[in-house]
Amino acid sequence: MNGDVLSLVGKNIPKKDAPLKVTGQAQYIQDIKLPGMLWGKILYSRYPHGRILNIDTKRAERLPGVKAVLTGSTIPDIKIGFMKDNPPLKKGKVCSMRDEVAAVAATSPEVAQEAIELIDVEYEELPGVFDPVEAMKEGAPLIHEELKSNVLKLPWKLICGDVDRAKAESAYIVEDTYKTQWVTHCCLGTSGCIASFDVNNNLTMYSNTQIPSLAQRDYIDALNAFGLKNKRVRVVQSVIGGGFGSKLDTYPYEYIAILLALKTRRPVKILFTREEEFFATSPRQCTLTKISQGCDREGRLTFREMEMILDNGAYTSWGATTPSVMMMPISSLYKVPNVRYTAKCVYTNNNYSQAMRGYGNPQATFAIESSMDQLAEAAGMDPYEFRMKNANEPGEVTPQRFKITSCGMKECIEAVAEKLNWKEKRGRHNGRGVGMASLIHVGGGARVYKSDGCGTIIKIDDYGKVDVFTGSTDIGQGSDTVIAQIVAEVLGISIEDVNVINNDTDVCPWDVGVHASRTTFVAGNSALYAAEKIKAEILTIVSHMLGEDVAFLDIKNGVVYSKRDKEKSMPLGKALRSIHYATGGKMLMAECFYDPANENFDREFKGNLSVSYAYGAHGVEVEVDRKTGKVKILNYVAAHDVGRAINPMLLEGQIFGGGVMGLGYALGEEMVYINGVLKNGNFLDYKIPTAKDVPPIETIIVETVDKDGPFGAKGIGEPGLVPTAPAISNAIYDAVGVRIKDLPITPEKILKALKEKGAEKLDEA
Amino acid sequence: MRRFEYHKPETIKEALGLVTSLNNARFIAGGTDILVALRQKKAEIDNLISLRNIGELKGIEYGDGLWIGSGTTHTEILKSRVILEHYTALNDGVKNLGSRQIRNVATIGGNICNAAPSADTACPLLVLDAKVLIAGINGERWVDLDGFFLGPNKTVLDKHELVKGFSLPLFPKNTGSSYIKHTRRAAMDLPILGIAARITMDDGKEGATCREARIAMGVVAPRPIRAYETERFLVGKPLTEDVMEEAGNIAAREATPRDSIRGQAWYRKEMVKVLVGRAIKNAMERMGL
Amino acid sequence: MMRKEIRFRLNGEEMVCDVEAHWTLLYFLREIMGLTGTKEGCGYGECGACTVIIDNEAINACLYPIMEVEGKDVTTIEGLVSQNGELHPIQKAFIEEGAVQCGFCTPGMIMSAKALLDENKDPTEEEIKEAIAGNLCRCTGYVKIIDAIKTMGGGR
Ligand SMILES: Cc1cc2nc3c(=O)[nH]c(=O)nc-3n(C[C@H](O)[C@H](O)[C@H](O)COP(=O)(O)OP(=O)(O)OC[C@H]3O[C@@H](n4cnc5c(N)ncnc54)[C@H](O)[C@@H]3O)c2cc1C
Ligand code: FES
Ligand code: FES
Repeated sequence: MNGDVLSLVGKNIPKKDAPLKVTGQAQYIQDIKLPGMLWGKILYSRYPHGRILNIDTKRAERLPGVKAVLTGSTIPDIKIGFMKDNPPLKKGKVCSMRDEVAAVAATSPEVAQEAIELIDVEYEELPGVFDPVEAMKEGAPLIHEELKSNVLKLPWKLICGDVDRAKAESAYIVEDTYKTQWVTHCCLGTSGCIASFDVNNNLTMYSNTQIPSLAQRDYIDALNAFGLKNKRVRVVQSVIGGGFGSKLDTYPYEYIAILLALKTRRPVKILFTREEEFFATSPRQCTLTKISQGCDREGRLTFREMEMILDNGAYTSWGATTPSVMMMPISSLYKVPNVRYTAKCVYTNNNYSQAMRGYGNPQATFAIESSMDQLAEAAGMDPYEFRMKNANEPGEVTPQRFKITSCGMKECIEAVAEKLNWKEKRGRHNGRGVGMASLIHVGGGARVYKSDGCGTIIKIDDYGKVDVFTGSTDIGQGSDTVIAQIVAEVLGISIEDVNVINNDTDVCPWDVGVHASRTTFVAGNSALYAAEKIKAEILTIVSHMLGEDVAFLDIKNGVVYSKRDKEKSMPLGKALRSIHYATGGKMLMAECFYDPANENFDREFKGNLSVSYAYGAHGVEVEVDRKTGKVKILNYVAAHDVGRAINPMLLEGQIFGGGVMGLGYALGEEMVYINGVLKNGNFLDYKIPTAKDVPPIETIIVETVDKDGPFGAKGIGEPGLVPTAPAISNAIYDAVGVRIKDLPITPEKILKALKEKGAEKLDEA
Repeated sequence: MRRFEYHKPETIKEALGLVTSLNNARFIAGGTDILVALRQKKAEIDNLISLRNIGELKGIEYGDGLWIGSGTTHTEILKSRVILEHYTALNDGVKNLGSRQIRNVATIGGNICNAAPSADTACPLLVLDAKVLIAGINGERWVDLDGFFLGPNKTVLDKHELVKGFSLPLFPKNTGSSYIKHTRRAAMDLPILGIAARITMDDGKEGATCREARIAMGVVAPRPIRAYETERFLVGKPLTEDVMEEAGNIAAREATPRDSIRGQAWYRKEMVKVLVGRAIKNAMERMGL
Repeated sequence: MMRKEIRFRLNGEEMVCDVEAHWTLLYFLREIMGLTGTKEGCGYGECGACTVIIDNEAINACLYPIMEVEGKDVTTIEGLVSQNGELHPIQKAFIEEGAVQCGFCTPGMIMSAKALLDENKDPTEEEIKEAIAGNLCRCTGYVKIIDAIKTMGGGR
């Protein structure tokens, strides 16, 4: 700030809660027990689609240790989720294997499990539909009969410029279809919660949610529906064993825990097993995308048109809103004047979908960046040159009305090309190849909710030690540390003197949640401004004490001092004590609610979604075994424009973590659903990368110092996995000349494509 | 997890006595298959009889051949120099089996007795001509490993018998062996396909021909199998690229894989064609040709 | 079902405990001893979050019958901190190198790393990867975990 040297921002400060975590002292939901606590368990559906004819819970109720049994017809009528289409316990009908049909509370998990197995449910199986394209056809089984259609009434449509005309005028056009698969977050800590009521029916929820304030609202609404009006809800977050978007909503199991707690008058804990975590949490949906793009003779993009179909599953959570974020790369990744995009979310009898790290961006970018390579080829250009020619630049306003402020896209692309030795390595077609892909993501919040704000309260004690109460949640990404760094930097104190409290709605202010890579930016700014407020107050008072103009005062190393007169200084603690222990004394506190100046989309889905945008490019060198179809990643380069790296170590952690998650998405991970039944819900068959799968990864951090970000920073939580899949796919194409258009890129698919290509060649010859 | 009693005999005799007298009893060695099955409710067992504390079942001995006690862990096998040098395929087999934590407790006996089509020590032991020593209340018997497997999780073992260990012969000088585990992931993965080869050549010179060949395949049939026709084809031939390719084609005809979520049948067959040659090549390299 | 008495060492302390035969070591540690530093990520030997060290070898506590602990020496993450509260050098390295994000995999990861380093003071990158291949981590991409373990070695 003020051109001064920063003492903490930009430093590799270890994560604040790391000592607790390396010693095993951190308390996850798994580790929390309350006195008198019962264990809840859920009975899920036996069929992907069926009518519930009868539920007999008598045998379960008689089992010693069982304290409550609930079914859909014994609970109040509520529906949850973004479209309010999901009852916590189903009655009448089940629409997916994950449907919650009954629940018990018992004195131990084992008894609860036994009880679940004693519940007899009679079903009439109904024909199901498991493919969104099938589900759109006339006569397909309806998931929600009352809606009369399986297509959700969500008008995802973005039109910018005149695509038809641009098409007619384009020199080169490519068109293709891309598919992505169901994948799941795989948080190492499974989902869980404890619901606990006090005598006055106020609820405390121990949970590992990513959205404490919105969850609190949801629970209050539910309590109202249960007839408990005007009750208080407190959300206490345990340490969270991974988020990645999985905890962006409230889910049936949480309401079930609340209902069981209400019925038994005892705290009830529901903790998912790994099997449940696989089949009963909401994954990233599969998509089917038709894309066409064109460019003029010089290789400038003329238009981009995309049509997408998303499998929503049986109910609706935020997964159905991912098209709003997909619009971002579709309209604004590279300069493309004319854009048309429509998306349909379709109900099926699969598990219902949720957003996952990237919020739709990985699916959209896979299609766009694969197609970019195809178009470059059609235009006879090198894909690197082609990208550089069309790259975004600072000062641009994109067709969707995004105002691009800082933008290091070209620097990222250039850096990747250089590190990969692009010129030399491209186009060998000898089994080794290079490929790249770029990304845009929101970097300055994202106004997807009515507010994109975050509150901070700061109090400072007699010795200059600070408590920061922030609405933002730490899901492992390190926001606790980044916020502490920002506050310590502003107040000129050491990082150890800053305590961050971020897990209790009773004391922490409102925040919309950890999503959209917004925490460093929004919560960071909120903390920054609150810290500046308290600092201004300290300096004003001290200026009277020292008889120095406030403009010349600053704080460093815990001492308030004058920048022009060495004699005038006072230890911060001493100053604070003098302020406190005077007649009419004062303990200093400050607050800030920061809501970025970004815009909700208008009816046409246009508006400046984020205050700033993050850019990046990934490049990869692969080797493909033509005989087996196996891909080996020889080299991976990830360049990101992050505005400013407040903590390069934690930031790299996000890039590595995102990149490797992207690798899994590209090459291995896939939830195999057969007729609505998940077939590989375990870590042996659902293959997230192991340490041995990790290739050499090099990170390049491009700092563009964003004018709106805290110390110039932009978000980086999600970007790391956005361009991974297309970069790899493009590299495979360069290596062996086949393009895999549906993820994951398995050896089977590559070998099949190679054989088909071989056959074509023979045909030609 | 289902409740069960746990018994810890210290001799084979005691173990056999327990398994005969107790209800619903099963042996447990490392437990990495049986405990998973119990947790998944795929097994109903009231009594587990642990083989971990029976000294007679442990250890590797090398003399007129190789003896591996059934209770030997994969880690112990991995650390054996003799196995690395003379029975390399087995080293290959355990190298990438599960994780370090699994290998530290899981045993070769458990891997073979569990009789999964994907068992990573099965193909190596098949090509290394392993014989299985089985102990029962009424005495001991030897069975060729090839005659041991009946199908998925099925063996010739009687309920009341246990496997003492495996005996492998000494091989002539110009012998090499290898195992290729074809997986999607680099670690912690079950094979899509496993191919083992052992080759004994006439002499160490260029242009030598194959005197004895063993090829075994995993996950291409309900049990790990030998590719007899391929073996016969190889004998008496110089192992050129063409011969190896043809061997792969023959082996692919002997394979009857199925589609599963872990891999498609056509792909498995294709991989047999490719990997049989590669396994033979690896085996040859190891004999220093 | 009868309880059985077993004797073993837990984090250096002699223990005499009554246990039930069907318990796993993980259940015993977490639910009976309250040592919740050892995590359960799957219960099937597939994630490594439950890794502890028994007689110098890393094992999955979720697949380890409590009855087999008799006479053995068990070390959990809680046992790495010295009497006076000093963290183990591996724990420090994990903190300093940024190897911890959500932290759920961390205790198991550290135990695998410790077992490796006790046996091999200066492991190569390949050896490190091999030793932690059974410990899944969804947050870090492993890079900084590997770096942290590397800093423990001699030459680097
Ligand atoms: C996460 C994970 C990963 C794995 N990865 C692999 C892998 O990559 N490759 C692979 O092949 N396997 C793998 N496995 C399976 C398993 O680890 C191996 O099959 C292992 O060798 C089994 O040995 P064990 O001693 O643990 O067997 P146990 O579970 O103790 O026993 C298995 C079966 O054999 C019987 N049995 C054991 N010993 C004897 C004996 N001496 N006589 C008679 N019967 C006996 C038992 O009664 C039981 O039915 C994996 C397992 C897990 C949990
Ligand atoms: S909990 Fe033991 S390996 Fe996952
Ligand atoms: S730090 Fe979250 S799983 Fe490893």
